[in-house]
Amino acid sequence: MLFQLDEITKTYGSVTALNNLSVAVPEGAIGLLGPNGSGKTTMIRTLLGLIAVDHGSGEILGMDFRHRQLDIRREIGFAPEDECLFPRVDGVGFVAYAGELVGMSSKDALQRSHEVLDYVGLGEARYRKVESYSTGMKQRLKLASAIVHDPKLLILDEPTNGMDPAGRDEVLELARDLSRNKGMSLIFSSHLLPDVEAVCDYVVVLGGGKLLTQGNIRELKELHQECFEVRLKADMPTYANQLSALGCTTEQRDDLLLVRLPQGSSSQMLWQTAADHRLQIRYLKPRRSTLEEVFLNAVEKT
Amino acid sequence: MPIFDQGYQHWSGELSGHAWRWLAITRHGVRVGLKSKLLRIVLFVSWLPALVLAGALCVWGLLEHKSSMIDPIVQFMMFVNPQVLAEPRAYRLEVWTLCFHFFLQTELRFSMILVLLVGPSLISQDLRFNALPLYFSRPLRRIDYFLGKLGVIGFFLAMVTIVPSVVAYILGVFFSMDFTIVPETFRLLVSTVVYGLIITLSAGLLILALSSLSRNSRYVALFWIGIWFVSGISASVLQGVEREHQLRSFAVHNPSFPPASQWRDARRLREERRVRLDSWQLQNSRTDWRPLVSYTENLSRVERALLGTDNSWRKLSELLPDDRDVNHFLVDYAGPFYPWYWSALVLLGLFGLSACTLNFPIKSLDRLR
Repeated sequence: MLFQLDEITKTYGSVTALNNLSVAVPEGAIGLLGPNGSGKTTMIRTLLGLIAVDHGSGEILGMDFRHRQLDIRREIGFAPEDECLFPRVDGVGFVAYAGELVGMSSKDALQRSHEVLDYVGLGEARYRKVESYSTGMKQRLKLASAIVHDPKLLILDEPTNGMDPAGRDEVLELARDLSRNKGMSLIFSSHLLPDVEAVCDYVVVLGGGKLLTQGNIRELKELHQECFEVRLKADMPTYANQLSALGCTTEQRDDLLLVRLPQGSSSQMLWQTAADHRLQIRYLKPRRSTLEEVFLNAVEKT
Repeated sequence: MPIFDQGYQHWSGELSGHAWRWLAITRHGVRVGLKSKLLRIVLFVSWLPALVLAGALCVWGLLEHKSSMIDPIVQFMMFVNPQVLAEPRAYRLEVWTLCFHFFLQTELRFSMILVLLVGPSLISQDLRFNALPLYFSRPLRRIDYFLGKLGVIGFFLAMVTIVPSVVAYILGVFFSMDFTIVPETFRLLVSTVVYGLIITLSAGLLILALSSLSRNSRYVALFWIGIWFVSGISASVLQGVEREHQLRSFAVHNPSFPPASQWRDARRLREERRVRLDSWQLQNSRTDWRPLVSYTENLSRVERALLGTDNSWRKLSELLPDDRDVNHFLVDYAGPFYPWYWSALVLLGLFGLSACTLNFPIKSLDRLR
């Protein structure tokens, strides 16, 4: 188990940030989803032991977060959402300092700093003052400083904020590599569902300080046996009209035709209709919910 | 795997315990501070008085041994009472005390400059660049953060107060070639170290508190200059006004011009009036609170109490040929004579205020935004 929270309640004045939240999450790459004010950041703060909760208990990496905050933070690498910098240092000094703060010796921290800067693609800029870095470089710098001590768990809070598409892909690739190939558990908090889907296997959806849903992404994206995605070689409108006449509901999305079959029908109807009109089916697949739908459904339930 | 592969590698080194984590912050702060050329120059210049102190103690050691090496120097020591020069060993403690006193007085000014150069950016820059989440998401407590930042101030102040004092003391003992000097003067060494710690704690915590109040280190620097200069000038003005008032009040009861019947004794009367005035000023100085307004004067008063400077001046005043000049001598060189614990209380109050200020703004900022 990566972490487990039991009946956690945290209030800020009259605002309840976490409302009797209970959640248990396995190791791996975890996506943390939720609308603004859903309690994502408070949950991260709780995991880091930065705030005292009003009620509840929990463990992270097998350690009680209420009593072993410093030990927990030794095992965690955290890249905050906001632009955060140690001022007046160059890139290599920045990452080495981050390592020293965790308890690495100066020599180890410096050596390791060079390694991780190469890894995140900042090798060429390592001797530049960090204040002169671009937004994308700063995000990668935060990632480098979070992994300098080789943590067991990496928490990335909105790591692709303000990045161009190329930079975003690079950061996602790094996060994916760390979680899938290097055995590092990951909590990836983001509003961008494609980013979460690209990196994570498992999601936790929060809303109003409560757990809305959680589970393996593949399992959450439910399979619809009566709904299919179809692509034809040509004449999509004719095919759609014929299916409508047979009682199907159709909707064209880009080059795909989304077909919902009437009750009691099977995919045989699709093949038969195409054959009757001498049309070639190039692609036929039962439709799955998108992560966006999973998210919206979960949020709507509240 | 090819040897040029720069992919992620695991790290299996040892992490140190929590106890000395603050030292990483201090080390980093010192490294960053020493990159400033201006700071290096000030550090260098502030070591010059230390050379003078070490030189003075060494010369006194050689003087005690009647060394011919210092004959050329002795002829320039006209400002020293001949009786003291004749019996250097008898006045060793007093001379050492005053040497350390003058040294620490000079270094107090350099300390203020160093704090001005190093201190303002310590927390304000972290606030400006939003570095606090980076600190507090690592295994650091708030006390580690403050200790680390205080350590930066402590390092630079120790470099200009404690370290040179210890080096000068050791050189002085070495040149005196008499280790019985140690028990006699050891109090000076301890006092210097304690005084260095007091400056560090007081000025360090004060500048940290100021630094935590603004994201702009220039404002903090201006505030520090304000505390240093404005408090000093205010104290001087208040003392000047009070002195004026006292003189006027004294003149009412002790007219400058004697009545015509006593003109024959005018000179004697004027002399008696001067003695009474000195005595009166000395007496008033014991209850004058106005120097407390000056931050540096408070530090200075504590330093004099620690070193026992006033006692040294008193012993030297005994060498004056005329007893009536003693008060005048003390008014000119020693003092102010208000109780030292008044200043200690002021410094303690500022310390408490700084600690509260630090606790208040940082408390709200260690929440990740």
